Amino acid sequence: MGETRDGSLEGLLNQVSRGDQAAFEAVCARTGPVVFGVVRAVVRDPFQTEEVAQEVLLEVWRAASRFESGKGSALAWVTTIAHRRAIDRVRAEQRAANRQIRAASHAIAYDDVVEAVQARLDRERVQRCLRCLTRLQRESVTLAYYGGYTFREVARLLGVPEGTVKTRMRDGLIRLRDCLGGE
Amino acid sequence: MRWRRRARPHNPHTLAGAYALDAVTATDRMRFERHLARCQACASELRELTEATAGLAGAVAAEPPADLIQRIIAVSARTRQLPPHVGQERRWPVRRHLPAPGTRRVRLVTRRAVGAFAGATFVAASVVSGGVALNAERDLGVAQWRDHAIVQVFTAPDAVLLTSQVRVGGTATVVMSRRDRALVFMTAGLPALTGARCYQLWLMGPRGDRSAGLLPPPRNGMTSPVFARGLSPGDWVGLTVEPAGGAGTPSTPILMLKLAA
Repeated sequence: MGETRDGSLEGLLNQVSRGDQAAFEAVCARTGPVVFGVVRAVVRDPFQTEEVAQEVLLEVWRAASRFESGKGSALAWVTTIAHRRAIDRVRAEQRAANRQIRAASHAIAYDDVVEAVQARLDRERVQRCLRCLTRLQRESVTLAYYGGYTFREVARLLGVPEGTVKTRMRDGLIRLRDCLGGE
Repeated sequence: MRWRRRARPHNPHTLAGAYALDAVTATDRMRFERHLARCQACASELRELTEATAGLAGAVAAEPPADLIQRIIAVSARTRQLPPHVGQERRWPVRRHLPAPGTRRVRLVTRRAVGAFAGATFVAASVVSGGVALNAERDLGVAQWRDHAIVQVFTAPDAVLLTSQVRVGGTATVVMSRRDRALVFMTAGLPALTGARCYQLWLMGPRGDRSAGLLPPPRNGMTSPVFARGLSPGDWVGLTVEPAGGAGTPSTPILMLKLAA
């Protein structure tokens, strides 16, 4: 029991993979806010946010046995599932919606996103680290992660070549990682 | 892989950052993952980049509604878990299973039949490529590859045709090749869906349930061929109705078709 309460997220997932309901409750308590937060940041719509967040945590329950600690931290595993599910949801909707209207209004969309994203970046540490990035790195990373844009769309929004955006995303993440790890 | 991209000289390696941010199309994702499987350096770089994205996620953490978590825990109690991956892949069993009742199974024998089928499908597949299903990709390379893949299945020496009734009405047809571990799925006469829902195709078996994509909207009552690969021994093909955009886990299937072992 003590192991369940004090154990690492990795340890908890291990217990979840064996069907341990109490461990799953602990995982939900620990990762619920980050899952809900990242899905909400990307999906926006409250109803769909709950739907996707539920899918994500159930996927964690179902696939706990597939988590491999050698491939990264448990938290990264969970947030990756959450982000990808959220992205899949908005992309599916986008496909259904008219892409041309979207393309025509990208200038507005961009301001919108940046403003909303800035408002939500309440965690000072990450914000401080994001400030260490160059502007282009920061915009590429945040538009992609919170805005749900592909690198091609980000390139269009920022008016820079696709290759540049890809590089900035990679460099930006490396710098972010170094900054977060170093604090 | 037989498929080679033209006029796309850039290295998939450079996609690592965009991939970690999910800032890639399904096509790019596939391309990078194929590269990842062979690239040790990419795997360790991706690990680092993914930890950074976890930081980005943490920055927007927010308390979920209290009842949401309770609901999820309740649903988990009646949700089956996936077994772990177990190292080496099993080989296809040599033993042949009898088809499930209500399933018609035909071996595609004559060259003429195969040719005609392949021709018809190629046309259908080309329509898909030019039209709705792939418009998000806007990528002719992919479209051509899919057309090619579909024809490949139809002309495989071990191609098998299965048809079955769908519970809610209509017929599903599968052409599969064990050699290519791939199948092509088509339907006729499925009821039109109301609201924001879609038909989703699944491979279900000992390896767990894997989405094989969404069915394109029907034209003249028929859906264009969907190509799926990565078949494993013991797989069934399943069809479900899901919210628009598809689901991560299947709801109750309206069709379960045992694939020829």
